[in-house]
Amino acid sequence: MKKVLAVVLASMMVLSLAACGGDDKEETKAPETQAETQAEKDTEAPAETDGAAETDGAAETQAPAGDEAKGGDVNGDGKIIVGYISKNLTDPFHGPINTHAEETFDALVADGTIDEWTKILDGQTLPDVQINCANDCITKGCDYVFIAPAEAEASDPAVTQMAEAGIKVIVFNSKTTSTDDVAWLFSGSDDVEAGRMLARWVVEKCPDGGKFIHCNGILGNSAQIQRTQGMKEIMESDENKDKFEMVADEDTQWSGEKAATAAENALAQYGDELVAVICDNDDMSSAAQSAVNAAGRTDIVCVGVDGNRTPLEMVKAGELGATVLQNGVGQLQAGIDAMVDDINGKAPASKNVDVPFVLVTADNVDEYLK
Amino acid sequence: MAQKKEGKILGMERETFRQFMGKYGVSVVMLVMIIAIAIYNPRFLSGANMINVITQISINGMLAFGMCLCITIGGIDLTVGAQLALVGVIMGQTITNAGMPIFVGILIGVGVATLFGFINGFFIAKFNMFPFVVTLSMQLVIRGAAQVISGGKAITFGQAVKNMYYGKFIGIPYPILALLVVFVLMYIMFHWTKLGRYILAVGGNANAAVASGVSEFKIRVICHTLSGFLAGIGAVIMAAKTGSGQSNLGVGYETDAVAASVIGGTSFAGGIATMPGVLIGIFIVGFIYNGINMIGIDANWQSIIRGLVIIGTVMLDMAINGKSRK
Amino acid sequence: MKNKDEYIFECEGIYKAFGGTQALADVQLHVKKGEVIALLGENGAGKSTLMKAVIGLHQPDAGSMTFEGKPYSAKGPVDAMKAGISMIHQELNPEPYLTIAESIFLNREDVHGGIFLDKKKQNQRAQEILDQFGFDYPATTVMGKLSLAQMQMVEIIKAVSCDARMIIMDEPTSSLDSEETEHLFATIRDLKSKGVAIIYISHRMDEIFEICDSVAVFRDGTYVGARSMEGVTRDELISMMVGRQVKNVFPKTDCEIGDVVFKVEGLTGKGFEDISFEVRAGEILGLTGLVGSGRSETMRAIFGLDPLEKGRMWLNGEEVTIKNPKDAIKKGVCMVNEDRKNFGLCLFRSIRENISLPNLPAKQPGLLLNQSREKKECAEYAKLLTVKAGSIEHNAFSLSGGNQQKVVIAKWIMAGPKVLILDEPTRGVDVGAKSEIHTLMCQFAAKGMAIIMISSELPEVMGMSDRILVYHEGKLNGEVSREEVLSGAATQEVILAKEFGGK
Repeated sequence: MKKVLAVVLASMMVLSLAACGGDDKEETKAPETQAETQAEKDTEAPAETDGAAETDGAAETQAPAGDEAKGGDVNGDGKIIVGYISKNLTDPFHGPINTHAEETFDALVADGTIDEWTKILDGQTLPDVQINCANDCITKGCDYVFIAPAEAEASDPAVTQMAEAGIKVIVFNSKTTSTDDVAWLFSGSDDVEAGRMLARWVVEKCPDGGKFIHCNGILGNSAQIQRTQGMKEIMESDENKDKFEMVADEDTQWSGEKAATAAENALAQYGDELVAVICDNDDMSSAAQSAVNAAGRTDIVCVGVDGNRTPLEMVKAGELGATVLQNGVGQLQAGIDAMVDDINGKAPASKNVDVPFVLVTADNVDEYLK
Repeated sequence: MAQKKEGKILGMERETFRQFMGKYGVSVVMLVMIIAIAIYNPRFLSGANMINVITQISINGMLAFGMCLCITIGGIDLTVGAQLALVGVIMGQTITNAGMPIFVGILIGVGVATLFGFINGFFIAKFNMFPFVVTLSMQLVIRGAAQVISGGKAITFGQAVKNMYYGKFIGIPYPILALLVVFVLMYIMFHWTKLGRYILAVGGNANAAVASGVSEFKIRVICHTLSGFLAGIGAVIMAAKTGSGQSNLGVGYETDAVAASVIGGTSFAGGIATMPGVLIGIFIVGFIYNGINMIGIDANWQSIIRGLVIIGTVMLDMAINGKSRK
Repeated sequence: MKNKDEYIFECEGIYKAFGGTQALADVQLHVKKGEVIALLGENGAGKSTLMKAVIGLHQPDAGSMTFEGKPYSAKGPVDAMKAGISMIHQELNPEPYLTIAESIFLNREDVHGGIFLDKKKQNQRAQEILDQFGFDYPATTVMGKLSLAQMQMVEIIKAVSCDARMIIMDEPTSSLDSEETEHLFATIRDLKSKGVAIIYISHRMDEIFEICDSVAVFRDGTYVGARSMEGVTRDELISMMVGRQVKNVFPKTDCEIGDVVFKVEGLTGKGFEDISFEVRAGEILGLTGLVGSGRSETMRAIFGLDPLEKGRMWLNGEEVTIKNPKDAIKKGVCMVNEDRKNFGLCLFRSIRENISLPNLPAKQPGLLLNQSREKKECAEYAKLLTVKAGSIEHNAFSLSGGNQQKVVIAKWIMAGPKVLILDEPTRGVDVGAKSEIHTLMCQFAAKGMAIIMISSELPEVMGMSDRILVYHEGKLNGEVSREEVLSGAATQEVILAKEFGGK
């Protein structure tokens, strides 16, 4: 028994060491690169920061007064440390974003742009865990922290706390309540525009107009509200309101199965008059399209937002006309670009970076289906 | 010290060493952990980070003390996570939406949590149902109640509520003070009163306790009611921390509370627990989270490492204690 | 000198230490074919340790064993069973949902093609074996429905069906009544005639004299010696065991018997009907009867552990009702339960906590416990009851059976009872402690306590009681006074007859 215990303990030690081993190497490497970058910056950075100080000024960022030689070292401890608080590690939408963060930040450390990064902190979709991570970032002496909030309200203290500690907080993907007031940058996408894109696609594909139905997300959710708003803006505009008629506004709660049922019902009721199904996400539009295709009505235009894998594959297979892709990786990258510019002394043009949605059709689907 | 003689460990007789480890084994594990993390990142030991960690563990601390009572009497309380959500939305409805004084909102919220704790205990003790089954079902009921009360929406709190988490008294954040007060009260209750003795006796051998004149029903109900009350206190801290009451908070919080209790030496067989042990368990769980972030461990490994460290801690404690924990 | 072939099993020079404690030192044992040999010794003398070494539950540190002339060693019970040695443990742990057949063939099931169980064949084979033993149940009965004695029989049948040539029985009669014991002895004689050697561990001297051919005595982990049962006396064996002469097995002293302290009338509940008796100050009232005859059930109901359907009780002339044990303790009625592990002690708590548990309301009125006073008082009572432990902070688990029992009695004496009920006070207790408990009972009686003692051991009941009430099938069936016992008018046979319903 004792022996078994010893073996288990030993193997556990080895395992955990192996897991940390990777970091170990990087950490030992860090000082050297840091020394190099320090030298580089000492020689070339001043000119740029001086330039930046003029444009930047005290206008909007909390950047230190300007006597600090090194750009980007917000807290003045001689190192540029970047924090990354994920929303979670399990959601397929956030998986590629996290991977992108890991690759990009590792590269930035390697080329000396930044000195360290925290690795991916697991937010577990729990707001108070994100607040804990934020506090850990503060104690680690981070200068920039990227955060994908789990909740608009409850994750807000994470953003405000870090901002109060003088960290330049880059909120991406979705906003928290006080993001506009305290965050250094927000990088996200405009859901109203996504709604407009849905509508425009339908108008383009059905020039003669007709009856359509709308499948909602969970009512009251900000994405549902804004996408619906954008969609209605176009469909109820003067030029379209006589051609198109919304015959049903379904409470389908983001569910593909519910959307498919709604589409079948509409088909049964309106037959040939039905020309389109507009959905707040593309799990619903792809399910609806499958349902109408099965009924032999491949001409009905179904479209939604997100760019999930199944709809993308359907676009590739020609079963679905188009889907509107939300570019999560692009949102993060926009934030990283702004940070790198800031480190190099170039202030961001705006506190709000809008990463456009992409209309994915058969023409460009290969680009996004990896 | 330089040379170890046979039969002596660290200059102590073998038997003395064994007794020493039996009493302080878990704290030694904690010290080793602190040193290991500090080697990776010296900032871990900074005063700011220590205050940070202790503030962070306050919520799990409340849950773990209550959980420890329920495990000690041979049960479990799986409702604590859902209680966090329920109390939060009740506070939101009363304080933010109905404009009641904060004190009243807290009283109602914690009162409801305590009541649900009582209901858990009543079902378990009166109908002799399995605690696992009762609290698993009540977890759904409580979270459902939170959804009904909030309508699925988040309710924002004002600065006054948030100050209960972020505010300080002579430099010490309120949650740390709350944790300290609760620990002291729990210690006194558990180790210095008849109630504590009865809890240990019912957990150790319910039949023998009853045959010694202890009311098993009363003790079970009291333990679950206390667990509900403490979850309510934890929920107030949670509400202040997130500044929001919503029905999806606190999912899965039972896990960390159980982990802290077990690391702290609470036996699932019942009847064995100490409050200082549980406090150390709470610290170890907190250090695991904070340490992983401080060291910067590869994201996809974090969950595995968390699990292994918990098992490893319990096994290490068993090994150096030379005793078995059921 | 010794004829090698004569012995089926021999071991020599066995040593075994646990940590710093030497549990066995230079121990030997010689067992003849077809012999019933008793192992005698106080608890902790090393009998169980030696037997566990034989069946491979412990590995001896040194020493040699031979079985049927060949060197023998076992890594575990399965190994031992393959070699032909089986052990029937004192506490049986049957799987209550297995059938008899499944129990007998556990780990050696009949299978089709190596995978699927062949239940039909297995049941058939089991039934044949059961019939051979005259066991009156179908092989498909689940174990949970059997009585303890029947489960034990199944264990024995299992051992024999495995072709065991030596069977170890650890306290096989501890939970059997007289009739079941007789049945067991018949089986043992039958096995013996078939050439099976039996190692019989028991504290009950009468049984050893009745069934065994020889006896090996152990003391403090060492081998004292072996005797043939013929010609050896009880006193000689006891003195070998304890290393000192125990003069009087039952130290009953006569003390002044006072007024009626406790009286019951027409008590009726589950398992007993219309029970009436009274017990006086300074009196020891013995209750006996077969297991399940309602003795313990009556006492549990009086103490408030089980509900009482009918009946009235008076304490010091005042009528009382007792709803639960808490009530009983408050009123001065205390009970030492027969099931020490389940109803007596919190094994993993300290001696101190166990002793003070029922006494906290009375002795610790304050909000906070006065721990130093508690320690002092508990130490006092532990000393009064001669509990042998390094410290009262040690877990009850670490104590021997006798000392555990003393802790249980200590907690009730501390409560200062008017009526003390002792259910099987010396079960699983070694000879030395047994005698000490008897002495203490007399002391308490002398102080004016009314004592009710339940025992299945007739010599104990007869040796200790001022009056004996005999139960038969839930009702009282006769009373025997101490005078009748002392005068020889009431012999064991007379009392046994009453237990079986005779007059």
